Amino acid sequence: MNINPQSYTVDLDWKKPYPSIDHDNEAFWDGLKEHKLLVWKCKQCGAVYWPKAYCQNHDNEPFAANCEWTEASGRGKIFAFNIHHWAFHPGFKEEVPYVYALIELDEGPLISSQLVGGDLPTDIHTVGQTVEIVYEDHPAQGFTLPKFRVVRE
Amino acid sequence: MGKHASSGKYAIVGLGVVAGPQPDRSERMIAAEAARLAIADAGLTRADIGGAIDLRRTGGGGDRASYSDAFTRVLGIKNNFYFTCGRGGALAGLGMAATMSYLDRGIADYVVLMGAVTDWSQSQETRKKGFRGMAHAEKRGYWGKPLGDSRAVSHHSWMAARHMAVYGTTSAQLGAISVAERQWACMNPEAKMYGRPITVEDHQNSPLVAEPYHLLDMSQVSDGGIAFILTTADRAKDCAKPPVYVLGQGFGEVSADLWWEKKNFTHMAVEPAKKQAFGQADITLDDVDCAQLYDCFTAEVLFQLEDYGWCKKGEGGAFVADGNMAPGGSIPVNTGGGLLSCYHLGDLTGLAESVRQLRGEAGERQIEDCDIVLTTGHGGELVSPGMCSIHTCTLLGRHA
Ligand SMILES: [Zn+2]
Repeated sequence: MNINPQSYTVDLDWKKPYPSIDHDNEAFWDGLKEHKLLVWKCKQCGAVYWPKAYCQNHDNEPFAANCEWTEASGRGKIFAFNIHHWAFHPGFKEEVPYVYALIELDEGPLISSQLVGGDLPTDIHTVGQTVEIVYEDHPAQGFTLPKFRVVRE
Repeated sequence: MGKHASSGKYAIVGLGVVAGPQPDRSERMIAAEAARLAIADAGLTRADIGGAIDLRRTGGGGDRASYSDAFTRVLGIKNNFYFTCGRGGALAGLGMAATMSYLDRGIADYVVLMGAVTDWSQSQETRKKGFRGMAHAEKRGYWGKPLGDSRAVSHHSWMAARHMAVYGTTSAQLGAISVAERQWACMNPEAKMYGRPITVEDHQNSPLVAEPYHLLDMSQVSDGGIAFILTTADRAKDCAKPPVYVLGQGFGEVSADLWWEKKNFTHMAVEPAKKQAFGQADITLDDVDCAQLYDCFTAEVLFQLEDYGWCKKGEGGAFVADGNMAPGGSIPVNTGGGLLSCYHLGDLTGLAESVRQLRGEAGERQIEDCDIVLTTGHGGELVSPGMCSIHTCTLLGRHA
């Protein structure tokens, strides 16, 4: 698959596990639908978290009201990755082998996702490749998945 | 410093093992049978057992629900308490810690702790349906599942990959861990892989599952049950088998190092657990005669060898490749074959082997003059992106 645009639409029968959308991360998933990657930022000291958390640098307001969702750059670096050759869930049978990466966002937090596009890393001993978000829209399912692709500088 | 007052105050006096495929049996019957064997092994009867803990990888649910069909009821134990306990692969260590409080206050004289699984039988069923592992579609759960996250294998293989990237560890070095454990398993007739030796080449040629992990980096899927009896040291002396004393216990959580600090991808939460357990027992690493290290995947063994200090951080690959954990090595590890080559019953696998080594019942693989064994557990998906969180360290001894 050669992913060039910033987003693409996949609207087939959903055969994979569903995302876990709850009160804590609803805004995050809504952001993805608008093609925004949101991270949780402390208004007091600027520290950034994902997923939602109380700020670790000082005492917090009730329910961490001193923090808010804010748009991230959508860029980061590979912290570690693996290549799944087996589909443990039948929904991934057509996709193996796929690269599943732990990504250190430029804002700091780690997030994990599948890498897409034609320029995938293959040497498991390497880290630090620059990646950027690609939004995979599933309008029939009502969600957008955040995937990433490698960016060559 | 000196020993902590609790060191040597409690002992394991009974062990019951049901090993191998159990395709026609329920989990609760396997559980009850393991408990029956443990009670008999201790020279006790059902009437002696005052309490029971059902050790589980997850909090509840499943075949042996705790309400109407507890294994204790199936077996006919008139216990004062029964509850479930566990956290991923940390079951026995946590169950023991809870048990000591009941023994201490005289609520029970003898407690049975039991863990059972029918993972192998269940995997045969799902394989018939054409896939491996899970088929869940529920909308709740962990991050990453619509993105191809397969939990344990995804998260643990990241850790191995990160260790490789940072320290230059190789897949062949991880293979040396598989090979060493298989060598031990070939001296244990109870092990699934008894009589089936492997080489590093076999490891390298085994199918890639979640690269860097090959099939031979991954633990067994097993059926079976293990139960043991815990009591106080004074009562232990009158039991049928030599007591195995609890010298110290410690716990650590990777979540104590907050995940955004990114420290937790090349080590386990060993540091606090080691300090607590070794402090209570008032011993050092040199006093440990063999170790049963939790080995859901190969790299977890490597991390623990480094984290406990048998070798320096980053040097685990060369350490295992030199045969240090294999038979005849400087620190025998997973002497029964471990989760990789014996069977997977969480940290109960290592605990059962510890008891056998300390009783001198380990046959061909018996470590000479085995006085002190270190046994660990870990597990529990906690943070997103997921990590194995708790680490438990239990030191057991032949003498109080
Ligand atoms: Zn703050």
